[in-house]
Amino acid sequence: MQSALLNRTRGAAFKATRPNACSRSVVVVRATAETVVEKKERRLSPLERGGTLSGDQAAGKDAGEKARAMATGSTGAATFLQIVDGRFVDDRWIGGRWDLNQFKDSKGEVDWDKVIDAEVARRKLLEESPIPSINEDPVNFDTSEIPWWAWVRRFHLPEAEKLNGRAAMMGYVLALFVDSLTGAGLLEQQESFLGKLALHICVFAILLVRTSSDLDKYKGLIDEATFYDKQWNATWDGVKRPSEAESQ
Amino acid sequence: MAASFANTQVSGKVANRQVAQGRVAPFRATGVRKTAGTQIPSFYFAGVSVHQRVIAVSGARSVSRAVQTVFAVKDGAVLEGRKLRVAVIGGGPSGACAAETLAKGGVETFLIERKLDNCKPCGGAIPLCMVEEFDLPLEIIDRKVTKMKMISPSNREVDVGKTLSETEWIGMCRREVFDDYLRKRAEKLGASVLNGLFMRSEQQGTDGPFTIHYTSFADGSKMGTPATLEVDMIIGADGANSRIAKEIDAGEYDYAIAFQERIRIPEDKMKYYENLAEMYVGDDVSPDFYGWVFPKYDHVAVGTGTVVNKTAIKQYQQATRDRSKVKTEGGKIIRVEAHPIPEHPRPRRCKGRVALVGDAAGYVTKCSGEGIYFAAKSGRMCAEAIVEGSANGTKMAGEDAIRVYLDKWDRKYWATYKVLDILQKVFYRSNPAREAFVELCEDSYVQKMTFDSYLYKTVVPGNPLDDVKLLVRTVSSLIRSNALRSANSKSVNVSFGSKANEERVATA
Repeated sequence: MQSALLNRTRGAAFKATRPNACSRSVVVVRATAETVVEKKERRLSPLERGGTLSGDQAAGKDAGEKARAMATGSTGAATFLQIVDGRFVDDRWIGGRWDLNQFKDSKGEVDWDKVIDAEVARRKLLEESPIPSINEDPVNFDTSEIPWWAWVRRFHLPEAEKLNGRAAMMGYVLALFVDSLTGAGLLEQQESFLGKLALHICVFAILLVRTSSDLDKYKGLIDEATFYDKQWNATWDGVKRPSEAESQ
Repeated sequence: MAASFANTQVSGKVANRQVAQGRVAPFRATGVRKTAGTQIPSFYFAGVSVHQRVIAVSGARSVSRAVQTVFAVKDGAVLEGRKLRVAVIGGGPSGACAAETLAKGGVETFLIERKLDNCKPCGGAIPLCMVEEFDLPLEIIDRKVTKMKMISPSNREVDVGKTLSETEWIGMCRREVFDDYLRKRAEKLGASVLNGLFMRSEQQGTDGPFTIHYTSFADGSKMGTPATLEVDMIIGADGANSRIAKEIDAGEYDYAIAFQERIRIPEDKMKYYENLAEMYVGDDVSPDFYGWVFPKYDHVAVGTGTVVNKTAIKQYQQATRDRSKVKTEGGKIIRVEAHPIPEHPRPRRCKGRVALVGDAAGYVTKCSGEGIYFAAKSGRMCAEAIVEGSANGTKMAGEDAIRVYLDKWDRKYWATYKVLDILQKVFYRSNPAREAFVELCEDSYVQKMTFDSYLYKTVVPGNPLDDVKLLVRTVSSLIRSNALRSANSKSVNVSFGSKANEERVATA
């Protein structure tokens, strides 16, 4: 009995797959996929679901330029920091200056760090492989286009942080040391003349002597500043100048 | 210099006859006052009256005389019967201007030049003030440069010359034409121009005259004939490889080697350089100098120079050619030349009655390497001091007069030299420094100051407020350029102190 029922179902299912014309009063059962869909909203593909962002919100999350170019199959549409035929070419270098519009970040403001990076890279490239100066390709970029605070943020602040850290550490250690020797607390140390002097020496030493080669550099500078004068006065070694002799 | 008095060899053109007649005969017969009868003039030398006689022998025969008297005259003593005799060795701008001033002042002048048609390797630029001060005719100036282009290592070009007025320019001239004009002018005023090569000189005692031995080319032969000349004072104007400087042990100096190729370029390219000169900076072109393209009368001179790395000069020249490749395309090299350029004055610029002027003394500025004007001016100032010290050639002059010239020179031009030295030390140190230099030259205040000090040779103090602004701008430019230097840059840092050349270059 059950097998007969099964057979019939099977048969009905089988009949459903046959064209209508060859059935004799058979109930055609159509297999339909039932989904709850609304007319206006199409269901998103897997690539668009699951936390995918699009448009502006996805900006900057792409892979690097070269990878993107390879993936999209575009050839050489993007050139960066190259010397072609003795000329400097870069997509962002237009009319002899960096096109600041191409350095805008997601908020629409110019990313000065990228501009600085680009200029550093350009100078390095031209240093290593100098190109002829061409009248039709003037360089119009002036570094003063980059605002002062971009320079401060990029170059001064890290260095300042380092130096302040050193000064703080040195200050603390020296204060402890002096306190242990003389029993004078922090405020008392600052009131004495020697204390003030030591403070100044410590701070200026940290400011001026940043690497071990700085001491040699300063000695060299003093030598440079006075060498030419010595060379000029060599002919007066041991002889008084007439103008000096007169005034005496 | 310590020639024995008993064996003085003097060969020359004066015949025996004159000696036999007992006439006082200086070597050249000009300006001789014939003494009456057999009176022999005498001078007081160390309180003792000494008879003066010149013994001259013709030809190359050497004759030793039993009685040879010292021909010594103290400084300031009146010269009787003759004028002061000065030999100027070297007939370039310094020598010719010295000879001219001496001759005008009444001194008997001999100008000894080895090559009267010498085409000296030189930039050939003369400042505006020189035309006025030395009464130069405008015909000897081939071109008037009114625009200078400075090109940074990253090819940033700056047009320097915006502030020049219509009457201001830098003159470019051919050295052979320029030098020749000055020499002829000196000759017209009474100097004797001798074509000869200085060999050596001897002095007869510390107050005696000099005997100059030189090879005379007067007969037109290539080998020349030995000749001598007797003079009281010598001015060494024989350039960077001065023999006079060696004679007086003036000391060594650092020098740059300047290398230049003269290239004839097509008309249309020459049009671009009609009144424009270019300066290329960068350590590919030179670690401590600059490469240049200067227009000459129908060709351009492309060259560069260096002090610290002379062996690589050909590489630097190639780099300069490469940088200017597009602008000088299709050119033909017509001449290659090189010459040393002194970097600073010699330790001793005078000794006794011998003075050094011009390149021989080392009067070339730093940073720009300018020498022609200072050579001519120093020649003139030295001659003026000698003319004054000898009261127009009537008295003997000596080291005191020469030191007056040295002192005047130092006081007048020290500021100019020092400012250019500071500029070189600050802006030729490294590639970032050069970039900052070019960036600063864009400013018209800088251009005005630069040209005023170059064209008129005075360090004019500008408006103090503008100077402070310039200082701030300089510092900020240098900071920015140094910040833009890549961390693993391979460019070099050059220092300009007393260390040896090899130690002055260091990678960044």
